Amino acid sequence: MSNPVTIIMIEDDEGHARLIERNIRRSGVNNEIVPFTNGTAAISYLFGADGTGAEHKGRALLILLDLNLPDTTGIDILKRVKENKYLKSTPVVVLTTTDDSQEIKRCYELGCNVYITKPVNYESFANAIRQLGLFFSVIQVPPAAT
Amino acid sequence: MLQALLLAAGFLVLVAVSVSSVILVNKAREQNSLLVHTVEVENQISSLLLEIRRAESATRAYQLTSAPRYLSEYETARDSVLPALEQLAKLVSDNPDQMAGIAKLNDLMRQRLADFARAIDSVKDNNVAASIDVLRDSASIETVQAITDVSRAMRVQEDRLFARRTANVDQTQILASTVTIAGSCMVIALGAVAVFLLRRSARVRDEAEAKLRDLAVTLETTVDERTADLREANDEIQRFAYIVSHDLRSPLVNIMGFTSELEELRGDIFRRIAALSRTAAFAPATPDDATAGAEPELEGGDKQLSDDFNESLGFIKSSIAKMDRLITAILNLTREGRRQFKPERIDVCALINGITKTVAHQAAEAEATIHVGALPNIASDRLALEQIFSNLIDNALKYLRDGVPGEISIEGRTKLGFAIFEIADNGRGIDPKDHQRIFDLFRRAGTQDKPGQGIGLAHVRALVRRLGGTMSVASELHKGSKFTITLPINWTEKQRDNKS
Repeated sequence: MSNPVTIIMIEDDEGHARLIERNIRRSGVNNEIVPFTNGTAAISYLFGADGTGAEHKGRALLILLDLNLPDTTGIDILKRVKENKYLKSTPVVVLTTTDDSQEIKRCYELGCNVYITKPVNYESFANAIRQLGLFFSVIQVPPAAT
Repeated sequence: MLQALLLAAGFLVLVAVSVSSVILVNKAREQNSLLVHTVEVENQISSLLLEIRRAESATRAYQLTSAPRYLSEYETARDSVLPALEQLAKLVSDNPDQMAGIAKLNDLMRQRLADFARAIDSVKDNNVAASIDVLRDSASIETVQAITDVSRAMRVQEDRLFARRTANVDQTQILASTVTIAGSCMVIALGAVAVFLLRRSARVRDEAEAKLRDLAVTLETTVDERTADLREANDEIQRFAYIVSHDLRSPLVNIMGFTSELEELRGDIFRRIAALSRTAAFAPATPDDATAGAEPELEGGDKQLSDDFNESLGFIKSSIAKMDRLITAILNLTREGRRQFKPERIDVCALINGITKTVAHQAAEAEATIHVGALPNIASDRLALEQIFSNLIDNALKYLRDGVPGEISIEGRTKLGFAIFEIADNGRGIDPKDHQRIFDLFRRAGTQDKPGQGIGLAHVRALVRRLGGTMSVASELHKGSKFTITLPINWTEKQRDNKS
């Protein structure tokens, strides 16, 4: 691929991160995964030193986002990503333990593309991630903006 | 109490003053009449003396002139003397002293009149000298003197009486005025005391009122503060439960995830062991067989190991599943606690019939009949009511006695703005010592032969409380149970705010 998609994984629980990564790999997705365990690091990576996000102009990104982060909430990151002119077309997959319908609704309103509840049942979890892999393979990654 | 006493005392004083005034006035009147009587007696004495003098002067004039005019005057006077005397006697009949005087006067008068008669007769006989002698007679002069003395004595006596009676009258009048003044003073004093007491009690009442107002204001503030505190605490608990259940879930995902990874690994490991042992026993095989084959055949100690591994993993997984259910239950409860209730008019009968329809299959299996009586309609939250009744009906169906056809009845009535619903069954019942326990989260009672989390009744009670109602249970082992729910007929948002 000339312009491979980079997966940004923002997940504070390393166990979850590992499980997600394993399952993504199992589903045959070999894209680069950049993991972050807290919101601050993720934000500084996404928006760069100047906070504009211009660094990622033209790059194909996909964000896997946990809502419960130690230093900030995933909602805030989602909001900032979707408000940023360079990042707003980046697909965001919210992957979290919360299955509160209010929160799901809010995420979709803010522009999240997929909302996945982490099920305790491992089969469902693995399934969800694998389907995500499928999703990755068919997703229309936004063309590089010039 | 004191005021009633005062009033009674004032009344008594008034009565006493009035009565004594009346008595004294009557007494004064009597004494006055006695006084008048005395005066009359004196008057009568004077007129008696006047008459006798008239008779005498007429007699003398007749002696001098022999004119019949004087004769007739004499006769008139003579005729008046005795009636006058009788009149006097009548007046003094109550006084023995005076009666003695009267008796004397009577004799003297008669003697005198006899003298006059003789003198007149002598004149008529033209014996003027003899007539004059009659009157000049010493006896006659003595009679006159005696009359004067007696009448003076009587007068003196009457004067004394008069003086005494006057004194009496004065005394009575002084007494009367004293009594009146004293009574008035007492009444005024009592009035003053009453006014004072009234003022004091009014002041005390005003103070009490002011205090009450202050207290009411303070109480309101306190209640508001407490309510705010409680609401905050409640919100805090809700948030806490929500966060805890989420945060507990997160490690659970890991445990489950990596347990499953271990399970995968186990499969790989034991397949490899099987392949290795097979290679050792028979012939060399390609390592690919280890992964490609289905469930490997294990023997002896290896099989034992595999089984132990499976058992451990099984326990871990079932525990995780249970923990997940509990956390989900807490999450649902807190979510329920945060849901906004919307009061609406509800046909409770229709609502319950809807529930019984959904459990008709279960009821048929348990050979149970559900009887729905006449139920009052209420304004409340529909979803909450559905959950309340379906939980209770489910429980009733779930915990029937084996071999006894179930009978479940739902009755309702209203009382003082509340609707009371009773859900009764003839099931296995609940030991009274467990009556409190069954409403606690994750607690169950009796034989544990049915699946369940111990959430239903805790949830029902939380809902009933949020709807401003109460619930209770009456039950004994093997004698069925009756759950009683009391809900306000008209539930409003405001009530919820007050309660939550």
